Amino acid sequence: MLVFDELKKNEPQLRLIAVMLVVGLCILLAGLWWVQVVSSHEYQSHLETQAYRTIRLPAVRGKILDREGRVLAENQPHYNLSLYLDDLHRQFDAAYGELYKSARAAQKQNIAAVEKKLGRSLTKAERKQFTYKPEQLQALREASRVRVARSVVAGVGARVGQPLTLDAAQFNRHYATRLALPYPVLKNLDAAQIARFEENFSGGLGADLDLQSVRHYPLGTTAAHLLGYLTRDDSSYEGEESFFSYRLPDYRGRVGVEAGFDMQLRGRAGAESLLVNNLGYRQSGNLWSQPEPGQNLVLTIDLDLQQAAEASLVKHQGADVRAAVVVMDVRNGDVLAMASSPTINPLFFTDGLSPEEKRREDARRTDMKLRPEINRATQENYAPGSIFKVIIGLAALEAGLNPEKYFDVQADPSRPGKGCIYVGRRKIDDTAPPGEYNFKRALERSSNSYFIQAGLLAGVERIVTLAEKFQLGEKCNLSTRQETAGNMPSLDRVHEGWSDGDTANVCIGQGEVSVTPLQMSVVYSAIANGGTVFWPRLVSRIEPQDPVSREATTNFPAGLVRDRIGVSARSLRIMHNAMLAETEDAEGTGREAVVPGLRICGKTGTAQVTDEHNRVVDHTTWFASFAPYENPRYAVVVMVESGSSGGGTCAPIGHDIFEKILQKQTSAPAKLLAAAMN
Amino acid sequence: MFQPVPKEKIDRLQLIALAGLMFLGTAFVFSATMVNPVETEKSWFAQTWFRQDIWYALGIGAAVALCVVDYHTLARWSFVAYWAMILCLVAVLIPHIGQTHGWGARRWIDLPFFQFQPSEFAKVAFVLAGANFLSRPPDELRQPHVFWQSIGLMMLPFVLILKEPDLGSALVLLPTGLVMMLVAGTPRRYLVKLVVGVGLLASVFVADLLFAPARWQIPMETYQRNRLMIYFGRDYTHFALPGATPAELQRLRQRQLDDAYNVRQALISVGSGGLVGKGWRQGTQNALGYLPRAVAHNDFIFSVIAEEEGFVGSVIVITLYAVVLFTGLRIAGQARDRLGKLVAVGVVTLIFSHVFINIGMNIRIMPVTGVPLPLLSYGGSSVLCSLIAVGLMQNIHIHRRGY
Repeated sequence: MLVFDELKKNEPQLRLIAVMLVVGLCILLAGLWWVQVVSSHEYQSHLETQAYRTIRLPAVRGKILDREGRVLAENQPHYNLSLYLDDLHRQFDAAYGELYKSARAAQKQNIAAVEKKLGRSLTKAERKQFTYKPEQLQALREASRVRVARSVVAGVGARVGQPLTLDAAQFNRHYATRLALPYPVLKNLDAAQIARFEENFSGGLGADLDLQSVRHYPLGTTAAHLLGYLTRDDSSYEGEESFFSYRLPDYRGRVGVEAGFDMQLRGRAGAESLLVNNLGYRQSGNLWSQPEPGQNLVLTIDLDLQQAAEASLVKHQGADVRAAVVVMDVRNGDVLAMASSPTINPLFFTDGLSPEEKRREDARRTDMKLRPEINRATQENYAPGSIFKVIIGLAALEAGLNPEKYFDVQADPSRPGKGCIYVGRRKIDDTAPPGEYNFKRALERSSNSYFIQAGLLAGVERIVTLAEKFQLGEKCNLSTRQETAGNMPSLDRVHEGWSDGDTANVCIGQGEVSVTPLQMSVVYSAIANGGTVFWPRLVSRIEPQDPVSREATTNFPAGLVRDRIGVSARSLRIMHNAMLAETEDAEGTGREAVVPGLRICGKTGTAQVTDEHNRVVDHTTWFASFAPYENPRYAVVVMVESGSSGGGTCAPIGHDIFEKILQKQTSAPAKLLAAAMN
Repeated sequence: MFQPVPKEKIDRLQLIALAGLMFLGTAFVFSATMVNPVETEKSWFAQTWFRQDIWYALGIGAAVALCVVDYHTLARWSFVAYWAMILCLVAVLIPHIGQTHGWGARRWIDLPFFQFQPSEFAKVAFVLAGANFLSRPPDELRQPHVFWQSIGLMMLPFVLILKEPDLGSALVLLPTGLVMMLVAGTPRRYLVKLVVGVGLLASVFVADLLFAPARWQIPMETYQRNRLMIYFGRDYTHFALPGATPAELQRLRQRQLDDAYNVRQALISVGSGGLVGKGWRQGTQNALGYLPRAVAHNDFIFSVIAEEEGFVGSVIVITLYAVVLFTGLRIAGQARDRLGKLVAVGVVTLIFSHVFINIGMNIRIMPVTGVPLPLLSYGGSSVLCSLIAVGLMQNIHIHRRGY
């Protein structure tokens, strides 16, 4: 070796030194080996931790369309004007330099002034009082940054044509916590502002436009309950990375279809990684996974019918009416319209409203009587009142009731011109006048007495069994997070502690029975279509946003059968005829619903709402119907809280809807013809 | 018959290794400084790497000039140089003459063209003067007063450099002096007693630093105490007053993090280099400013090399230094007389101490003490003195034994 041979001879000290050198260098080599080879990964990850930031990029949300592809909910691009702080780094430093210089000059002046007063120069300790503390220097730095940012913002505002201000506290907070991200100065620029900005700026100057995708409901509050709303929520979903340094604003559905199908609508968030330097400024960015857009939802809703229902409610009862309308296709259970009033603007929950609008909506939202957030079509239990009599009627007919047999309704001694019936010792009022009633007349005049005796004849068990076949007391599984099951006494319930008086209540749709308008639409559809109880279908299919995408479409099959009521065709025919009479006969309570050219079968209802002392405090009015009589296709259920009567309050709304249905039916072939001829 | 084999005048191997080190120095000072936008705006002849090359040229010139005369002549002037350096060291402590350049230590004298750092030159002057003093006959070294005089020779610059304060530069004097005394033939027992005594003092010092309550602590500059505490991994909150609020403890911890910052960043730089490094000028630690720009090109230049060239690069650097050191030892072995041997050994130990402390600092086996890496760190005084020291070794080699 180099040296050792020569040293072997007679230089023990040099040998010793050589050995020490070797040992020292080996220690260094061992240390370097440990750090650079063995622990390399650990240090590399430390490097990445301090130098890399990850950003979660939310994906574009899927659209919600009606059955003919018309848009109910979509996204709009919002352009925000933001400051890119890494471009302003040098200006910050320069501004701080200037401020510091003037601060030092001021300090020197102060010292000179004090010295002059004392007539001597200050000692080191006394001078120390004048030195700037770190907090003061920090405040100076913040002030210099705010000054630079303000001037940039003012310049940008002048060019864009709108005076802009900078909130110092907010800016400093952003600087401290999210320096690598752009600082938004003006949100949601309109087209003119964007044009002016692009025209006057060509790179540099630290400000640029930022694109944000925001949910937009082009039809305002149409189908607001059904669609639901979003709230701000940027947490990670299942199957996503759970750690991100920053998260861009994202939203999640809370109720309605937005919530029930949130997973399909939201797509998959992407991620971007940023390299930051030791001060936190962004150096470069790298898109690490693209966000995947969500899928579109196609509902079974028909926008024309939905709008007609909502417009009719407003026209007849005003915007604050507490009501619900459900239109269903009886052949397969498709929900063609589901309206609930009063509504709340979905933009309230995502800060899309101006401050006064927001205050107004908030006042409505907290009103205990209005309760606009409830979807009255599916989320509230109501006493059905007389519309429940169709079930009683069918049960009685199946039990052998002769529809032609007349029943004598006795006069009410305390109410002249009105009938009554005694069940045990209890008297139940009848709105129909005393006289002879067969099935048809009883239905069209909605006679309580007739149906109570019919129900008692059929027996409560038969009624309950039939009601269970109609799936009353069960939810419809819409996955909108807005459903209640209603209430129907079970067989066990009617076997103990149950009296004839309770049965009588059930016969007139009061007492322990409560339903939702959607459930009644299923009932009436079943009666209309010959006895099949369908699962209501709200979503027709889920398809990719991009038409040329290779992703598959998920179809939800129509006409899923839930149950069959097992009632004879004869009973149903009798029922249909009776219901037709209700709207077409002069005596019928549903006369207001009649639309020339369409034969409608209907039933009105007025249920009493009692308080805990059994005093009547309110009425729930109903109109449940289907049409056309010859070949039933549409079922319409209208419910209005605090109405005067089913016939007076709800039937006119039904009329408007059926008018629209007729219009669509007649115009559709005309349109096709016109298209074919051109 | 036989003809005398022409001997090499200069030690080629050492010079090749030096050339390698100078090349690496230029390349990595370039890499370390060119990430700074202020630097790229200068014209190329004003840039730091070029200035380093100028120092190299000047240093080579000085070394060549030294080799012209026999080292015995130089040795005659050694004490003049020594006392001149002592004067400079005293001068640098005077407030308006010595400058701190913002480092909190008064180490430089600003001359018109050059920032003169006397401690660097003092080390070389000490080697020469010490070798001269110790080259007297070994019997004289047995006398205690000669022993104490040689200790004094070492202590004077040590104390002065320590006052600046510059702990690192002062520390390298100790092993250098010790090794020179060993090789000179100072009796073992003196040296053993000295080493034991110093060892005891050092342990007491460290124990006081780490464990003593506030009243018993030896006065020392705060930042030096902090550096040593970081090295020993001592938690600052250990020294908090009993009634410290959580906010104050938090601030102490934050200060510890800030103080440990340089070391942590250096470790991350070195560690993330891996086996082959990230490539010249591809080091992210440096480019992103995590390795502080102020120290990247001098005290922590090794981190830059380690990050960019990896373990392979580190081994190359250590090999180059090893070549310089071992050829130096060979020179010592072949020196004509005791003076030559002592000078060569002194220079070798001096360079080795610098290398060990600096690289050790980068990988946290030594506390941060601000010692430059010879020839690789940027710094005029350091480069000049390293090359002068090597020039001395070459001088001894040129005038070595005839057989």
